[in-house]
Amino acid sequence: MNQAKLFLAVCLLCATTSGVARSEDRVDVFACEPEWAALAEEIGGDRVEVFAATTGQQDVHYIQARPSLIARYRQAELVICTGADLEAGWLPLLARQAGNRRVAPGQPGLLLAAEVVPMLEVPVSVDRAGGDIHPYGNPHIQLDPHNIARVAKVLAMRLIEIDAASRAHYQSRLQDFETRWETAVTGWEARGAALSGMGIVVHHRSWVYLEQWLGLDELGSLEPKPGIDPSASYLAELLAGLEGEDLQLIIRSAYQSDRASKWLASRAGVPAVVVPQTVGAVPGADDLFSWFDTILDRLGASGR
Amino acid sequence: MNLTGLDADILLPGFLAGLIVLATHVPLGREVLKRGIIFIDLAIAQVAGIGVIAAGAAGLDPHGFGTQIAAVAAALIAGLFLTWTERHFEPVQEAIIGCLFILAATAGLIMLANDPHGGEALRDLLVGQILWVGYAQLLPALAIAIVVLLIWVPARRRLGRGVFYVLFAFSVTTSVQLVGIYLVFASLILPALATRRLSFGPALVAAYAGGAAGYALGLALSALLDLPSGAVVVWALAGVALLISLLSRRLA
Repeated sequence: MNQAKLFLAVCLLCATTSGVARSEDRVDVFACEPEWAALAEEIGGDRVEVFAATTGQQDVHYIQARPSLIARYRQAELVICTGADLEAGWLPLLARQAGNRRVAPGQPGLLLAAEVVPMLEVPVSVDRAGGDIHPYGNPHIQLDPHNIARVAKVLAMRLIEIDAASRAHYQSRLQDFETRWETAVTGWEARGAALSGMGIVVHHRSWVYLEQWLGLDELGSLEPKPGIDPSASYLAELLAGLEGEDLQLIIRSAYQSDRASKWLASRAGVPAVVVPQTVGAVPGADDLFSWFDTILDRLGASGR
Repeated sequence: MNLTGLDADILLPGFLAGLIVLATHVPLGREVLKRGIIFIDLAIAQVAGIGVIAAGAAGLDPHGFGTQIAAVAAALIAGLFLTWTERHFEPVQEAIIGCLFILAATAGLIMLANDPHGGEALRDLLVGQILWVGYAQLLPALAIAIVVLLIWVPARRRLGRGVFYVLFAFSVTTSVQLVGIYLVFASLILPALATRRLSFGPALVAAYAGGAAGYALGLALSALLDLPSGAVVVWALAGVALLISLLSRRLA
């Protein structure tokens, strides 16, 4: 009896480890951010094996190196990342260490979402003295649901290129997703109409696509420059600048410390909230749909 | 459990980087422990960071050769400064090193207020990640390690304090970029601490063997448990050091 149990345990262990090691007939997808992992699941369904390199609780600018990242990148047939230097701190290093030709630049296996959507804040001239200017524009594109739809189309095309045998599967899943997404976007836009013109202060300048989509009015940011703590005079200036403005909300991502926004909230007398910057950033934002539902909830849009 | 990351191809460059760091840090760590200046590596690394920020402010490419020169130059100046303070203020040398550390760290923050790019370069320098090491980075580090060892090991008793600080500045500046400040501290102090009861030769052998075992064990564990490699290696080094310390006490 005991031997039988041991045998069973060994079998289970083998089964789980071999399952992790390699998926034979599924397309291996490596997603840098949770929103692209969720999108790959939507379009690929059971024909893809998706690995997300980061979680909604992490700052995607900086991540700790783990061996599994390199291993997963090495076996990936499709890599989907935001690009536009968002992952500049680690993606090039990861690609170099993994040495996977199928997902090299120019191959169908590498999909950089920022290359298939219209970018905001692309500088006219790149001048290092101007501080942290991204030469490709603001990379936080995932916060406009129309961008998600644009990426979905290209993602389906890439999956078909890689796994032509499942063409019909990907096409029908894309169509199904697009129908549901369009309906959802219409709903969000109806709910969000009341938010148009609402004054907000952001922690980090990562919300421009959301602001453009919903017509929010960014009155300032708590960080004078990305990753740099505000100085006393900067905060005083920010407060003075808000005088007479219609500030209603201070928003930050899930991974950012609440100190700066609480400081401003207590002085300006408006609430500070965490708005999920991606899938899984806050409880309830578990897939692409509930993620945008939660964004609108947290911004205070009424109705569902 | 996760076997996907347990791949020699993935872990080998990091392991080799660990061996190169150990090569210089084991003998230098013994000296650091003897002099009671444990935090010198943190201070030197921070000052090297100032060099990087200054290079960024001067418009140099953060990943280029000029930035490396600036980092080493700043570290050397700190080394010479500490030589001078040891000569004149020996009883408070450790306190001076602590002050140098916080002053360098905060000077960095002040300088960075106007240069976020320097911030990225500084992060690269201080938080080198062992898994991202490529073979191309190993060669210059190996060359520096060999030169440092050839100068230090045979002649450590005859060499003056100045030589120690200069060699130390070189070693720390290169190794911090390879594996990050936590692993540099661990490689410097843990093997030296574990083998402090032994005489120079046996201590060196035990510390090298233990250090290499710690890196190998830590990298393998980080692959199996899917955890950040640098942090796991620090704990593995500590575990092996504790074991060696207990064994050497029994032997002694």
